[in-house]
Amino acid sequence: MSGQLLGFLIGPFEAFGFMRVALVASFALALANGPVGTLLLMRRESLSGYVLSHAVMPGAALGFLYAGYSLAALSLGGLLTGLAVAGLAFKPRSSPQRQDVSLIAFYLVSLSFGILIVAVRGSQADLMHVLFGTVLAVDVNALLLIAAITSITLLVIAALYRPLAIEAFDPAFLRAVGGGGGVFRTIFITLVVLNLVASFQAFGTLLAIGPMLLPAAAARCWTQKVWPMMALATVIGMAAALAGLLVSYYANLPSGPAIVMGAGLIYGISLLPGRRRLQPRTFEEQR
Amino acid sequence: MANSPEGARWRRSFSNMVSVGSAVIAPLRRELAALRLHAQAAFARHFDGGYDPSAVNGPGQRGEGGIEVRNLSVGYGEQLALEGVTGDFAPSSMSAVVGPNGAGKSTLLKALAGIVRPMAGQVTCAALARHRLAYLPQQAELDRSFPITLGEFVALGDWRNFGSLRKPRRRLAVSVHEAVATVGLEAFINRQIAELSVGQFQRALFARLVLQDADVILLDEPFASLDESTTDELLSLLQRWREGGQTIIAVLHDLDRVRLHFPSTLLLARSPIAWGDTSLSLSADNLARARMALGLPAGGRFGRAA
Repeated sequence: MSGQLLGFLIGPFEAFGFMRVALVASFALALANGPVGTLLLMRRESLSGYVLSHAVMPGAALGFLYAGYSLAALSLGGLLTGLAVAGLAFKPRSSPQRQDVSLIAFYLVSLSFGILIVAVRGSQADLMHVLFGTVLAVDVNALLLIAAITSITLLVIAALYRPLAIEAFDPAFLRAVGGGGGVFRTIFITLVVLNLVASFQAFGTLLAIGPMLLPAAAARCWTQKVWPMMALATVIGMAAALAGLLVSYYANLPSGPAIVMGAGLIYGISLLPGRRRLQPRTFEEQR
Repeated sequence: MANSPEGARWRRSFSNMVSVGSAVIAPLRRELAALRLHAQAAFARHFDGGYDPSAVNGPGQRGEGGIEVRNLSVGYGEQLALEGVTGDFAPSSMSAVVGPNGAGKSTLLKALAGIVRPMAGQVTCAALARHRLAYLPQQAELDRSFPITLGEFVALGDWRNFGSLRKPRRRLAVSVHEAVATVGLEAFINRQIAELSVGQFQRALFARLVLQDADVILLDEPFASLDESTTDELLSLLQRWREGGQTIIAVLHDLDRVRLHFPSTLLLARSPIAWGDTSLSLSADNLARARMALGLPAGGRFGRAA
């Protein structure tokens, strides 16, 4: 019985190299997406992250126009437009409410622009590839890119954990005590764009933000501390990746959406007991 | 083999290897440690407000708490909020800023804190340039739902000593406990700040100010939604800070409290109506003039009730 279960769980990865690569890639992405997603949530900037994920699109599409499916062209193009947008649109963090409209406008424009560019040269299949990605088509080069970005992200967050967390929480205070607030914001947004570029191959421009935000949102329901939240988000991301890949294998479904669905399901489950878990101590301790 | 000549030779060559190894590694490690210190110092210079351990001041080293305001005008769009404000806040003084609604009190504080840019004139404040100015806005823009305990939150006040990369000092926990005790929140030190009431959170902000130990403290209606006893406690804390040499400037509405606790007062109605000794500034005549200056009906006092 347990042998059967084991076969069910690891069989596909044993049999097919592309499944193994997909699993390693999505695990690596989860490693970086956990901390980055948690910080994004803590900063209450999930909308900005969402918009940035579309800002990657026109650049990647231009890369596609010039060089077809070249990892370097797609990634470089995505990175450039992502950073350009981050630099242009996100400089002042005046009031998030007023930013809403311009962010949405930006999201629509860059999405349409990207689709138009892809349509000029590519087919319907190319469009699907750019929009939703293909985890199963991740090759060794893409895997190396993901690994490099994940390593850089983890190192930077480990080194600058304190200012990144505090800047998410009380930017005015950090400025007042001379904590160079703007610098850390720039570093963080750069990390977000880098990770979106890493996720782009696997999840496409529409879903890339999913594996970043959903596990972090689920983890937030279970813990009150920042770094356990990051760890838990990583674990949830990995679990969703494993489950999603298995489901897509056995049910013959597209794997990217299956992984994001898995993360969404975990988020939904977390909401049920998590909601109560957020406030338990007030009542008990005040008595 | 352990006692054979063979074994002895092995041991000798092993210890040779170790000593050669450490001869190579030790200087490398020294280099690395020096490099690390260098990098930390460079980082602090550029991003951490120029950390300088020798500058951790005792009470005797204060005296940069003065602020010079010269012909300051601030406007939002067409509307002038402040017009031609000129005057000084002396070091170690305790001043109240009062005036009718729309007099530009909050704007003045923001200009002093360097948050809004003047349209004309200038503010000279050594403490601001050295990151030794603390500003408590009317509504802190920080995220109360952020998962951080009261103790951790108060400890942030010591930021200029630990910054982004350095270890907190060894006695920080003790200082945090003392600061939290000063505002009477010992029982809540491990509580999430999201669980504190409005009044408790205001006390927590004051505890953080204790650790921050700034030369100048700007407070925008710090007692707005607090009960009497909390207000009195925090007021006596302000008194103690001032005796310790800190400069305190607070926007307040309650004129009775101002008369009781604040030696000097700036009465503001877009530009200063009176600035100096509280009892002189807050004469009935001046208060009426302040209302007139803003086009409000004369008579009666201003304040939240007005």
